[in-house]
Amino acid sequence: MGFYHFLSLGIVLFTIGVVGFVIRNNTMVLLMSVELMLNSVNLIFVAFSRYLYGTEGQIYVLIIMAIAAAEVAVGLAIVISIYRLFGTLDISKIKLLKG
Amino acid sequence: MLFKAIYLLPLLPAIGVLINGLLGKRFGDKTVAFVACTSVGLSLILAIGMLYQMIIADPAHRVITSSLYRWISDGSLQINVGFLIDPLAMAMIMVVTFVGFVIHFYSIGYMEGDSGYRRYFVCLNLFIFFMLVLVMGDNLILTFVGWEGVGLCSYLLIGHWYEKKSASDAGRKAFVVNRVGDFGFMLGILLVIVTFQTVNFAELKTILAGNHGISTATLAIISLLLFAGAIGKSAQFPLHVWLPDAMEGPTPVSALIHAATMVNAGVYFMCRIFPFLQQSQFVLPIIALVGMITAVYAACCAVGQKDIKKVLAYSTISQIGYMFMAVGCGIYVAGMFHLVAHGVFKGLLFLGSGAVIHAVKGEQNIANMGGLIKTIPVTAITFLIGLLALAGIFPMAGFFSKDAIIMGGYETYGIVYWLFGFGGAILTALYCGKLFGMAFLGESNFTGHVHKPNFFFKAPLVILAVCAVFLGILGLPMFTKNTYFAQFMGSSFNLGAGGHAAEGHGVSLSLEIAFTLIVSVFAISAIVLALFMYSKHRKKMIDFESRHEGLMMFLFKGFWIDKVYDTIWVRPLKWISNYSNNVCDKKIVDGAVNGTGKIAMEAGKTLARMQSGYVRQYAVSIIFGVFVLVGITVMFFF
Repeated sequence: MGFYHFLSLGIVLFTIGVVGFVIRNNTMVLLMSVELMLNSVNLIFVAFSRYLYGTEGQIYVLIIMAIAAAEVAVGLAIVISIYRLFGTLDISKIKLLKG
Repeated sequence: MLFKAIYLLPLLPAIGVLINGLLGKRFGDKTVAFVACTSVGLSLILAIGMLYQMIIADPAHRVITSSLYRWISDGSLQINVGFLIDPLAMAMIMVVTFVGFVIHFYSIGYMEGDSGYRRYFVCLNLFIFFMLVLVMGDNLILTFVGWEGVGLCSYLLIGHWYEKKSASDAGRKAFVVNRVGDFGFMLGILLVIVTFQTVNFAELKTILAGNHGISTATLAIISLLLFAGAIGKSAQFPLHVWLPDAMEGPTPVSALIHAATMVNAGVYFMCRIFPFLQQSQFVLPIIALVGMITAVYAACCAVGQKDIKKVLAYSTISQIGYMFMAVGCGIYVAGMFHLVAHGVFKGLLFLGSGAVIHAVKGEQNIANMGGLIKTIPVTAITFLIGLLALAGIFPMAGFFSKDAIIMGGYETYGIVYWLFGFGGAILTALYCGKLFGMAFLGESNFTGHVHKPNFFFKAPLVILAVCAVFLGILGLPMFTKNTYFAQFMGSSFNLGAGGHAAEGHGVSLSLEIAFTLIVSVFAISAIVLALFMYSKHRKKMIDFESRHEGLMMFLFKGFWIDKVYDTIWVRPLKWISNYSNNVCDKKIVDGAVNGTGKIAMEAGKTLARMQSGYVRQYAVSIIFGVFVLVGITVMFFF
């Protein structure tokens, strides 16, 4: 288990998150994909921190976790609002911003 | 004593303006007139007191200055609000306050029942104030303030009956034409400031009297620029076109502003800056030439006029031309004397014409008058006195003043100038005779009841007529340079030692008397002939005129100069304005502004189609954007 394994895992997780965000329709799943991307980045930060003998990466991870917690709270609130407004969580049916 | 209070002279009319202008809304017409006349009357009394003190004072101590406060201060340039009274200014102040007061008094009757009664008197008082500032200002800048102020009042009063289009047009024309001259005036002031670092008349005179080392070319340019201002204000050729039109204003205004005071300001100003003229020799012939052309030209035009006021307007232009001839010959005393005399008798003539117009209910065409001497004898006789003075018939004031100018021209420039002066005098006598013959003698062509003038009309006419007769005394003893008026002027026109000693030589007394007799005999014959022809044989003369209609029209229209200006200046300017409005503004400027808006709107419409509303698409574009940005960063920085 070396540095590159961690790096590869992070990249794979991030890609899964991105693809999930793009191809899925359920708003809840989109939120989860965002979380996945955030945490994959966390993983890479920690890996770098470990192999470069620095603490900056770990500090960033803590900051990202705090932001992620806040983001989840706001995100869930938005999801609930979307459901109340449109009666559905299917993101492909919501396009108020169409120009 | 009185001299300490010289600032009161302009202050009193200003107080009149404030009282009538700010508080006068509830005043009746009588109160307004009383305030206006009183303020000018007090100024007149003060001026007479000062005149008396100046006469009894030693000729060397006739210059009084009083500085109120420092107005502009910039390095070595200090400009005060200060007043200067010397005999030159005193003569002008007397004309302004005396004629001004008489005309204020006359206006009480003339403007009776006018809806703009208060406005009229406020403007008239304001005019007196600015005129006194112009005359008494001890520096160029303050004089310029007065100069522009009287221009403003002239504009306001010409356009007094602004509902009439011709009146408001005439006011604008006067203003615009004066701008042309004033542009030169301003440039002249700037050049004086740059060259001398002072604008004070007394200081300038001192500098110029000494060894100053300033080139005559600079002085000549300054003189010519300032002269341009004088040309505009004094309605000299080629900027005279506004004055005949200015007759649209009320007649007392024509008398005060466009005959007696404001239009003479140019002559006064030239006398004020005579050190400049004296030291730049080739400017004087130019001034004399302009005066000469104007004097003869305007006299020709006056012969062809049909409107009683326009005859007098052209006559005013012509007489001021004579004054400029005097200035151009370096005989400033004669010029100022003619100014004073002209102020009185031309004021009289205009007031007389006002009385005539009032009597015949607004008729101004002299062809429709006639025989008025039977119905309004006082007006007729005073008018005749004014005309005789204008024509220069012995023993009226005009005889002495004009003779001095014509002789001065001969002494300085020779026989050609004398001939022009002589020709102008004959023409003057001709139109005087024609005017009186047509309007007052012969059969009456006026149908309807003739209004009799009341006390407010008669009193000013009689006062001015008496003055027009007796002012000639100031021109005694004749044929010398040492007339009473010259004695009063004293050393006003002496520029240091020997600056003016060149005057008064070359012409023997007998030749002078002979020339004077020639002018007088010809003038008297011309006026008698014209009187006779236009009263007894008026039909023949009118036939004669209609046979030469082209020539009469040429004279009537003032040599078509208005038309020339219309073609050279007005129409191209209108064309350029239309072009800039329709093409430059509407197409280019508006096109650019509207085009910018249109581009933004079109761009917005096109770009809006990219907004699909799908969150997915936004996410993809964000990711794609990040890739691009990271890629660029990596490419350029690593």
